[in-house]
Amino acid sequence: MNDRSARLTYGLIAIVGALTVAPVAMLAFGSFTAGLDAFGHFTLAKYVAAYTDPALLKVLGNTVIFVVGSTLLATVLALVLAYLNTRTDIPGKFLFGVLAIVPMMIPHVLFSVAWALLANPSNGLINRALMDAFALDSAPFDIYSLSGMILVEGLLNMPIAYLIIAPAMASFDVSLEESSRVFGAGTWRTLLRITLPVLRPAILAAFVLGIVRSLASYAVPRVLGMPGRVEVLATYLFEMISVGFAPDYGKAAALGMSALATSIVLIWVYRSLTSEGGRFVTISSRGWRPTVVPLGRMRMPLFALVTLLSFIVIVLPVAVLAYTSFVPYSMVPSMQAFAQMSWRHWTEVFADATSLLALRNSVFLAVVGATVGVVLSIFVAYVIVKLRTRGAALLESLTYLSFSFPGIVIGVGFMWFFVHTPLYATLTALLVGYIATYLPYGVRPLASAFVQVHAHLEESSLVCGASRMTTMRRIIVPLLIPGVVAAWILMATMFLRELTLSVVLSRPGSEVLAVQILGFADDGLWGKLSALGIVMIAISTALVLLASLVGRWFASGAKARLEANA
Amino acid sequence: MPPLDRRTFLHLAGGAGLAAALPSALAAEGGDLAKAKAEGRAVFYANITAVEPVVAAFTAETGVKGEYTRISSSKFVSTVVTEAQAGKLLADVVQAPLPVLELLREKGILAPYRSPAAAGFPDWSRPDDSIQMFGIEYVSYLYNKTQVKDADAPKRYEDLADAKWKNRIVMADPASHASTISWLVGLKEKVFASENDWMTFVKGLAANRPMFVASFGPTPAPIESGEKAIGISMPKYIVTKAPAPLAWGPRGGQPLLGTPRAMAITAKAPHPAAARVFMDFWLSPKAAGMLAKDVGEYVLTPGVFPPIDGIHAAKVLPIRDLDDAEIQKWGAQFKQIFKG
Repeated sequence: MNDRSARLTYGLIAIVGALTVAPVAMLAFGSFTAGLDAFGHFTLAKYVAAYTDPALLKVLGNTVIFVVGSTLLATVLALVLAYLNTRTDIPGKFLFGVLAIVPMMIPHVLFSVAWALLANPSNGLINRALMDAFALDSAPFDIYSLSGMILVEGLLNMPIAYLIIAPAMASFDVSLEESSRVFGAGTWRTLLRITLPVLRPAILAAFVLGIVRSLASYAVPRVLGMPGRVEVLATYLFEMISVGFAPDYGKAAALGMSALATSIVLIWVYRSLTSEGGRFVTISSRGWRPTVVPLGRMRMPLFALVTLLSFIVIVLPVAVLAYTSFVPYSMVPSMQAFAQMSWRHWTEVFADATSLLALRNSVFLAVVGATVGVVLSIFVAYVIVKLRTRGAALLESLTYLSFSFPGIVIGVGFMWFFVHTPLYATLTALLVGYIATYLPYGVRPLASAFVQVHAHLEESSLVCGASRMTTMRRIIVPLLIPGVVAAWILMATMFLRELTLSVVLSRPGSEVLAVQILGFADDGLWGKLSALGIVMIAISTALVLLASLVGRWFASGAKARLEANA
Repeated sequence: MPPLDRRTFLHLAGGAGLAAALPSALAAEGGDLAKAKAEGRAVFYANITAVEPVVAAFTAETGVKGEYTRISSSKFVSTVVTEAQAGKLLADVVQAPLPVLELLREKGILAPYRSPAAAGFPDWSRPDDSIQMFGIEYVSYLYNKTQVKDADAPKRYEDLADAKWKNRIVMADPASHASTISWLVGLKEKVFASENDWMTFVKGLAANRPMFVASFGPTPAPIESGEKAIGISMPKYIVTKAPAPLAWGPRGGQPLLGTPRAMAITAKAPHPAAARVFMDFWLSPKAAGMLAKDVGEYVLTPGVFPPIDGIHAAKVLPIRDLDDAEIQKWGAQFKQIFKG
């Protein structure tokens, strides 16, 4: 390891560590401290209390099924959609590309509520339609169940997996597949023996991120699990901190340490499974060219299938939200409901000064936060994947620290930390907290994109006299455009709807959209909630389109330069 | 004899029910208002929701900017104590369920203040020098008028245990939701004749397999949409969710119960005069009227009621103050009964 690489690694460890260690350390102190805050007498009582509850075993069993099931669903769906969208001649690609990431833009509570309206066993719209159509005695679907939770959580996490896998898929060197076919392998064999193994880093990255995310997820267990009496770690933690008026966050943090440990183990497993980085390189200086796989006779049937999937999993819930924003209260669609539709909820939301301030703050945090976050993520991913210095593993683990802590608790860790700094109760505190917590959303897509860029490109640049910074700016970053766009979209849309930290750190002047939405949810005002939610989705869509167009513009420039150099 | 200071004077006057009529109190108020205007703003931490119009009316009437931050009950103590210990408590006035403010008072975070605007409130609304109660977070059952005919609707709490409501009730999780736990315990102490009767009711309710949600907020939607017929919820939703077809019970004389809503000024309020002006405004008939009319709140201001049919005749009682240990004990017991 040369001095410059070491300096970069340790510099980044210092920056990322400063961002992520403090809140987790505060929670760690709290878990060993008697009393309600982070500093006090040492005790192990909270660990004993947290880990000796006989009900915990069943909760952990449910949690494993929920987390693994939803992540598998998200990863498989994302793989199929990414393959069809980036590698084949399926029609309507751009539309499907946007649709694939729509669930990420919807506040998770709203998405879950929409699914409850569609598939609750009493009068869910899908259930009613099927019962009427097929004269069924009972509802065929029960969304208030473990399988219902897996479906909804899987759909919510699909965009994350898609945004990690799609860029890797897009920069895939098809000559590998062509060689396979030349040697007589069929499409399936090529897919299983060549395509998927080469994409292993991206698939594993998506899987690890999905596991960590769904472990910390709260909205789906709260809205769908609680009515179905399915308890998972998140709702168990919620119960722990909500019984009584002086909740012990230290005890919840003691249990949260298990989630943290699980995440760190997963990261180490991921690193060891992708340790031979060279095996996954697909963009070298020698004739990289993404091409399109013709679907032939399967083109239209697959198109119809993806359209149907998009309709059921995305269009229908969003339509439910739109409908809810126009009816005066929660009503099953009927002539009476349509007759009572009005813009009332919309006008009330737009007349509310706090909602408008929250809108401005959230857009600022999304755009500025994602931009700063992506710049930091580029350097972190570069060290993790390309330099692979001695401290790289530590750096990678640090990026996951705040992220992998259960959402209900991490906000309190940040509050315990920020209150001792001048940043407390400012918009900057939210900005720093967001970047610190969601750094994996920037690092993961960029890391999987970095994996596929061959060292020859950098070496050629360095040999020709360019500095590392120039090499990064002129050679590496342009090739990483799909990864950069994916990372920016993931971060910006997350920051736009972020609730976990905001609900604890937001104060007068630093209100954000998600906190406003929570206020409406607490009052059961689903109409206003849906109206503001749709505004949020519209802004997210605009940001996604903007980022995609800017990405395409840069990518076309980079491709032109690469071809000119070749 | 030392001169009588303003607070002591108002305390005595308020205790005698005279403060509102005394011109000297109003003069003192005028002095506070000038100071409050100089301070510029009053920061209000509260768990009560949808009160932005009241805060805006305060700003319009006094010229002092009201700033409202909503903090949920479960994060209230943690947030305020953390800020106070770091010397950064931003709140001038805090509002939360009574047990929360009692915890804050024990930690020395609240200041003594007796507002003249609460002079006509019942005596039990002033448990000490710091805390002033102004309303009751009243809980009862709601039902969907289009799904349940009046003749079939439950008339008494006991009727909720009738097997005809099996799988047709929604309620906040009785294992974790503090207000629901307190309400169930309140029924034992203020409604049912014996503990056996009460336990029979609780077990009957559990046998009807109610659908659980996290808090009161999500309870009205399933009733409105017809997903469930009855909800253990808050009658205030009849106001905030109008024109939803919601009705409340019991109407036959059994009381409605709820946790008292309390407020206080913080000991190191950054804007102390603005804090007093804010509290006086909040407790005034004007603000109480807004809380009742626009938010459906049950307030303690005499003669002010939310616009809900028959609520003026209802007996609304505060629940005994349960401490955390008691809430946890009952929560565990209800978990056993309801989730087995």
